[in-house]
Amino acid sequence: MLDRSGESSSTSRARRTIGESFREYGRGVAGGLLFSLPLLYTAEVWHTGFAMPVGRMLALVFLTLLLLLGYNRYAGLRQDSSWIEVAIDSVEEMGLGLILSTFILYLLDRIGLEQPVHEIVGQIVVAAMTVAIGVSVGTAQLGGEESDAGKSGEIAVTLGGRLVLAWCGAVLFAANIAPTVEVLLLGTEMSPIRLIALAGLSIALSAVILYSSDFRGSEGWAKAGGLGAVLQGIVITYAVALLASAAMLWTFGRLDGATLPTIAGEIVVLGLAGTLGASAGRLLLQ
Amino acid sequence: MKKPLDKNALEWTVFGVGLILVLATIVYLAREALATGSLPPEVTAVLGPPRPGRDGFQVPVTVQNRGDRVAEDVTVTVAGPRDQEAVLTIGFLPRHSKREGWVRFRGSPADAQLRVTSIGFASP
Repeated sequence: MLDRSGESSSTSRARRTIGESFREYGRGVAGGLLFSLPLLYTAEVWHTGFAMPVGRMLALVFLTLLLLLGYNRYAGLRQDSSWIEVAIDSVEEMGLGLILSTFILYLLDRIGLEQPVHEIVGQIVVAAMTVAIGVSVGTAQLGGEESDAGKSGEIAVTLGGRLVLAWCGAVLFAANIAPTVEVLLLGTEMSPIRLIALAGLSIALSAVILYSSDFRGSEGWAKAGGLGAVLQGIVITYAVALLASAAMLWTFGRLDGATLPTIAGEIVVLGLAGTLGASAGRLLLQ
Repeated sequence: MKKPLDKNALEWTVFGVGLILVLATIVYLAREALATGSLPPEVTAVLGPPRPGRDGFQVPVTVQNRGDRVAEDVTVTVAGPRDQEAVLTIGFLPRHSKREGWVRFRGSPADAQLRVTSIGFASP
């Protein structure tokens, strides 16, 4: 039977040995901690675990699952995988995220058996979602030749694939900043002129990264259709970064009760990190 | 012919554990979401038996939030002997949770009618 890329599935999806699987999980664990350790060390994240409404927490779990499905489909280790395999990988990664968060938060003495269950679960879930994305990226990116071998690149160049990857990069990069009180401080204290300048800087950085640098995959945007395609790439990247920033700020309760200027300020402040993630991260992730 | 899922025992085990954890998390959160109301924080404080110490005594304070939302910056003021007042501050008091702290006074507990005089908190 032929798979999507036309190769024999028996060559690209041969059963791995226990040792190979173990190494792959090791990469996932390393990636999970590499990308999300700052989050696990941040007091606001622990407090969000207490304070976040349960419905919002549930939405966070489903959104993360969606994001993992998208990432594994478009940038994961095996782009020739079926949706069943993508779903299995996503569940595995979220499971590893939950286990890792539990272990680290327990080690840091942030959770304990003396606490009510909802406090423990809240803290674990809030941290685990970013850890799970880190596990996914780590599994796909920290590998050697195996991870490169499965990348036909055909799926990643579609607009949908780019959007998913930009969203992943933005979330992964900005999630470590979104819960901090500094975003709220900057969003309320910065003057509109400075906020506009920050937005300009974000767009300029996005342009530099997409067009001028040699990040892997940048040619996908820069050389696909000339200046028009680059402009399109910049606009889409910044739009995704702002949307992802807004979603993360909402998740961490930073938009609750805020006035429109504060909301806009916070989104623009976090948008810089989101843009770096969405442009550099997206290109690096491919 | 359907493409087989060619996974080894370790991969199936990790998937099985992951599936159980993810489903358990979703079911727990869904159940909590249905069971949790939207009552504002309801904070109470109870004083425990005074414990004598060097040149004074200290009193345990148990602060409880019976509401459905978190209370922030909780301050509990306790009146002690000879017009002394002690203030206990707790940063976060999650819904349906307890926290414990201590207040300390000079003198003897016999000279005072220990009581909580005020409780303040913010609701985010």
